[in-house]
Amino acid sequence: MSVARSVQRAPKAPWLLAPLLLTMLVPFAWMLFLSVQPGAGGDLSLHALSKARFTLEHYAELLKQSAFPRYLFNSLFVATVVVGGNVLTGAMVGYALARKRFFGNRALTWGVIATLMVPKQVLMIPLYLVLAKLHLLNTYAALILPFFVDAFSIFLVRQYVMQLPHELEDAARVDGAGELRIFATIVLPLLRPALAVVAINGFLLNWNSFLFPLIFTDSDKLRTLPVGLALFAQGEHAVDWGLLMAGSTISAVPVLLAFVVFQRQIIEGITAGAEKG
Amino acid sequence: MTARAAKRRGRFEPATWILLSPWILALIVFVAYPFGFSFALSFYDYSPLNPAAAKFLGLANYAEALKDPLFWTALKNTLVFVFGTIPFTTSLALGLALGLKRAFKGRDFYRAGFFLPTVVSIVVISLVWKGLYAPEGPLSALAQSLGLVPPRWLLDPNTALASIMAMDVWAASGYYMVIFLAGLQAIPEELYEAAALEGASSWQRLRHITLPMLKPTFLFVLVVNSVRSLQIFTEVFVMTGGGPLHSTVTSVFYLYEQAFYKFRLGYASAIAYLLFSLTLLLAFVQVKWLKLEGPKS
Repeated sequence: MSVARSVQRAPKAPWLLAPLLLTMLVPFAWMLFLSVQPGAGGDLSLHALSKARFTLEHYAELLKQSAFPRYLFNSLFVATVVVGGNVLTGAMVGYALARKRFFGNRALTWGVIATLMVPKQVLMIPLYLVLAKLHLLNTYAALILPFFVDAFSIFLVRQYVMQLPHELEDAARVDGAGELRIFATIVLPLLRPALAVVAINGFLLNWNSFLFPLIFTDSDKLRTLPVGLALFAQGEHAVDWGLLMAGSTISAVPVLLAFVVFQRQIIEGITAGAEKG
Repeated sequence: MTARAAKRRGRFEPATWILLSPWILALIVFVAYPFGFSFALSFYDYSPLNPAAAKFLGLANYAEALKDPLFWTALKNTLVFVFGTIPFTTSLALGLALGLKRAFKGRDFYRAGFFLPTVVSIVVISLVWKGLYAPEGPLSALAQSLGLVPPRWLLDPNTALASIMAMDVWAASGYYMVIFLAGLQAIPEELYEAAALEGASSWQRLRHITLPMLKPTFLFVLVVNSVRSLQIFTEVFVMTGGGPLHSTVTSVFYLYEQAFYKFRLGYASAIAYLLFSLTLLLAFVQVKWLKLEGPKS
């Protein structure tokens, strides 16, 4: 009865929330707009709207004359390898923690949860020193290894495996299959939905990561997009709004595409985190 | 010992340890060792430029931090940031979730729009807002067209931090909206139906059903958001560099400068631990506060 009543009433939400939604979208529209306006300085004033034009000169300049293609490659490369690592090791460890009885299971599971709760600024300095000791600072390894195995991915897979039925694995065991083969041929395919969540969230996190790549590298050759962009904006280009917004757009487009395609997995990743609390 | 007991305790299975090996390795090398190492480091005078000259100082790093006015400025700015944004972010997120809970045409577009800033790099968001806040930029023009004297946003020590906070509320609300939506979906519909039968107004339903049932969600949102806000760094790095007049130096920004401009890694480790303790304390207080009140039902 109450359901019927609330359906009959015209929803007020769209009208009330429309101005807020506009506030969300306008800054991004403005970023796109500035990125295609000609002129070195970029006109930030509202007058720019009345003399709107279209040019790709900023994109061309970024891709031709600067280190941007390199940043783009670095970001893609690092994110791909890290996500691969998160997926593979998340599946391995998450499965073992959920299914296997062994001495130390509780300790290792608590290690996962504790790692999730340690703020990263506590680890920032010692990680820097560990990498320095291993002579890995300013290498791709510094951008990859510390993030290759990810506690959140492990946790997510563990929770997922806990609610999977055992039967398939048990049947394979009766047939005499080895444990690693069971993992690779039976468990791994079953984990696909959880691993999709791990992959997409890992990609977003890594693609947007800033503090650690900033600290662990100091050469232009190794910078990722966010770091390259932030440092670019601090130098002589501080007011090259056309260039800055073109760079921002290049950095935002892959995640926006990922968002459109994988919205469900992204939301699942967030709420999976919330349910543990 | 029966076979069952042996099974419960588990026997050594090489495959298990092969599967676990990445985590054991990562936990030692990238979590436990650094965690312990930085604790030890916080009692030393240590520069990576001259590690041989490391000197044990006892608690001197901690004492120095507590005496440094800039440390307190940074802490004050950070706490202003945390306590100044969280009420707005939380109520905006809750309001959005309540508004977008029931189906209507275009609802998914609304949800996606509010969530959008969450997936975009905070560097990009900070750059865009730096442009919006520029003296010749659109927000100043908007203020002028309303007949106001536009504030100098990021260039004025009195408004710089507030400007970054406003951006943070804008950027973060969508994330917590998603969490509130999940919390709202978990509330059984029967409760609302029963309340409707008894003639409860929509305000009463919100007050006596929705809010009490959302308590665990509130707790999660508060803890996660305060832990995150205590670590605000990128926004400051990109938008103001801590200025003007240190008005936007946050604790992590201060830590970063001490560690990677001045190379005082021992001192910076002490700061990191002070900040870590504060994070734990704040999370603990929030858990206590929300637990103590207890469900009213």
